[in-house]
Amino acid sequence: MLKVTLYTALLSLVFWSCNSSDDTYETINEPLEFSVPSNFPDAVYNLEANPPTTIGFELGKKLFYDGRLSSNGFISCGFCHEQRTAFTHHGHQFSHGIDDLEGVRNTPAIQNAAFMKEFAWDGATNHLDLFPIIPITNEVEMGETVSGVLAKIKSDEEYQNLFASAFEDGEVNNENFLKALAQFMVMMVSADSKYDKYVRQEEGGTFTDEEKEGFTVFTNKCASCHTSDLFSDDAFRNNGLAPNPSLNDIGREEVSGDATDRYKFKVPSLRNVELTAPYMHDGRFGTLEAVLDFYSNSVTDSPTLDPILNQDGELGIALTNYEKTTLLAFLGTLTDETYINDERFAEY
Amino acid sequence: MKNSLLALSAVFALFMTSCSNDDDATSEEALTGSGEISLTYDNGFNGNDLVLGTANAANANGETITINRFNYIISNIRLVNKDGEEFVYAKDDSYFIINQENEEDQVALADVPAGEYTTLKFGVGVDQEKYLQGAEGQGDFLTLAEENNMMWAWQAGYKFLNFEGTFTSATITEATEFKIHMGSHGSSLDNYKEVTLELPENVVVGDGIDSNIHLKIDASKILAGATTNIELTEKSVIMVDAEKSPQIAVNTSEMFVVDHVHNGNGH
Repeated sequence: MLKVTLYTALLSLVFWSCNSSDDTYETINEPLEFSVPSNFPDAVYNLEANPPTTIGFELGKKLFYDGRLSSNGFISCGFCHEQRTAFTHHGHQFSHGIDDLEGVRNTPAIQNAAFMKEFAWDGATNHLDLFPIIPITNEVEMGETVSGVLAKIKSDEEYQNLFASAFEDGEVNNENFLKALAQFMVMMVSADSKYDKYVRQEEGGTFTDEEKEGFTVFTNKCASCHTSDLFSDDAFRNNGLAPNPSLNDIGREEVSGDATDRYKFKVPSLRNVELTAPYMHDGRFGTLEAVLDFYSNSVTDSPTLDPILNQDGELGIALTNYEKTTLLAFLGTLTDETYINDERFAEY
Repeated sequence: MKNSLLALSAVFALFMTSCSNDDDATSEEALTGSGEISLTYDNGFNGNDLVLGTANAANANGETITINRFNYIISNIRLVNKDGEEFVYAKDDSYFIINQENEEDQVALADVPAGEYTTLKFGVGVDQEKYLQGAEGQGDFLTLAEENNMMWAWQAGYKFLNFEGTFTSATITEATEFKIHMGSHGSSLDNYKEVTLELPENVVVGDGIDSNIHLKIDASKILAGATTNIELTEKSVIMVDAEKSPQIAVNTSEMFVVDHVHNGNGH
């Protein structure tokens, strides 16, 4: 008799728990703390307009790794932005999008977007919220429309629940979709490299003599464009790369229409640079050595060449072999193992 | 005879009374609460109705234009009353797309505070302040813009004007495509323009009083502008042109006039 009761009790327990999952669960959304590292400037992103929350962040991450944002169902943001290489596309000069179509620009890293003023190599938008529109609608990347994407996710019950919990109006709409992605990307802060520990005088931040010398070279010869601990001034500059005629990429002029912006591209951050090969907007250099050799030997003149790289007729940046060696050592200190292994941003 | 005269005068009297009812509606004592003002954006070309797919008579630049697409963004609507006070329509609700293909030419402004207004102000396109709001209060408009061909592909920005068709001229005798997409160029160039129009008569609105402002748009002014002439023969695809796009932005802001106002009974 007891055995039957126990068995029935157990069985009903199973059924009860099964029933619970049919109920619309009320998950409580909590604010996520966004902390500005002490060696960083203030965030540019308006955190009050779209405060990161636990569920908003999870929703943004789910969207980031969801292939349905593309027309063929498997090109997600994470497809080209791989965490282990600071969210760049490892080994790819250009990424292949839908139908294996290729673009003309190298996939940039996603890191510290909350501190950036312009996005994409040509500043196609100056607001992080609006950025996803660009790869989603690009015919050689995800080849979709934003309304097409919304229609797909609207029909997904799990997304419906997430949107309902993450946003006050609970709607699966454009605004919330973009905000969720932004909440995810805003939290992606890389500020725990050996360099960061060195400047903040934390444990693990002891520089070798070589790294210190490289830091000095960097400050004197690179930091006028790769400024601050963000390692970029977000400006559009022509750094003297000879234009590739088969790509014909006019850079910032694409967006501004101004001929004085021709061949100017946004100064990228150098954080995690050891991981983000190949280098430059078109990924033409396979190694950092090649980049430094370019700056010392191969900067080409043009009407829009940045004046910093043309000092009294001397093109480029004079660097001795020794200086290059120390620079490479220094650049290695910008690798942030915490960031590339941070489970919060991981796909699995 | 006497009866018919009496009947006639009765009808006449009735006529007079019904006419004076309109006057009652515009008397100050009746204005309380709020009402709806609709704006009709009546698209035309050089004095004629704008008909898609039909060639228009040659413009001042000697170009014969057939329009296949004519869409523009209207935003930030404000009304100034006769006391000089400005009513600002709720910004987040104040972005509209006029799309000739959809034959959507009405903008409905609900809950306009009662009063008599003398001036209509609005913007053409999307202002920088809106862009910098990101997705906040802009999300739905982005979808609307996408659906109405007002999103740019290579930058996350809007086309303020999408003006397309074909043209011929003295030197271009075979019908050639023209495409004018005008908007702001990222953070580099702000092409948002404001328009201020004095109403030919005051528009009145209040409880039970819905009114209409009927605007007429002359699309020919985009090219044969008051300030600058744009010749398609010289360049027929203008999208992110640092010189011509701002000129087109100015021309476009000058294509609007208020033709008349309907007070009471909406329209």
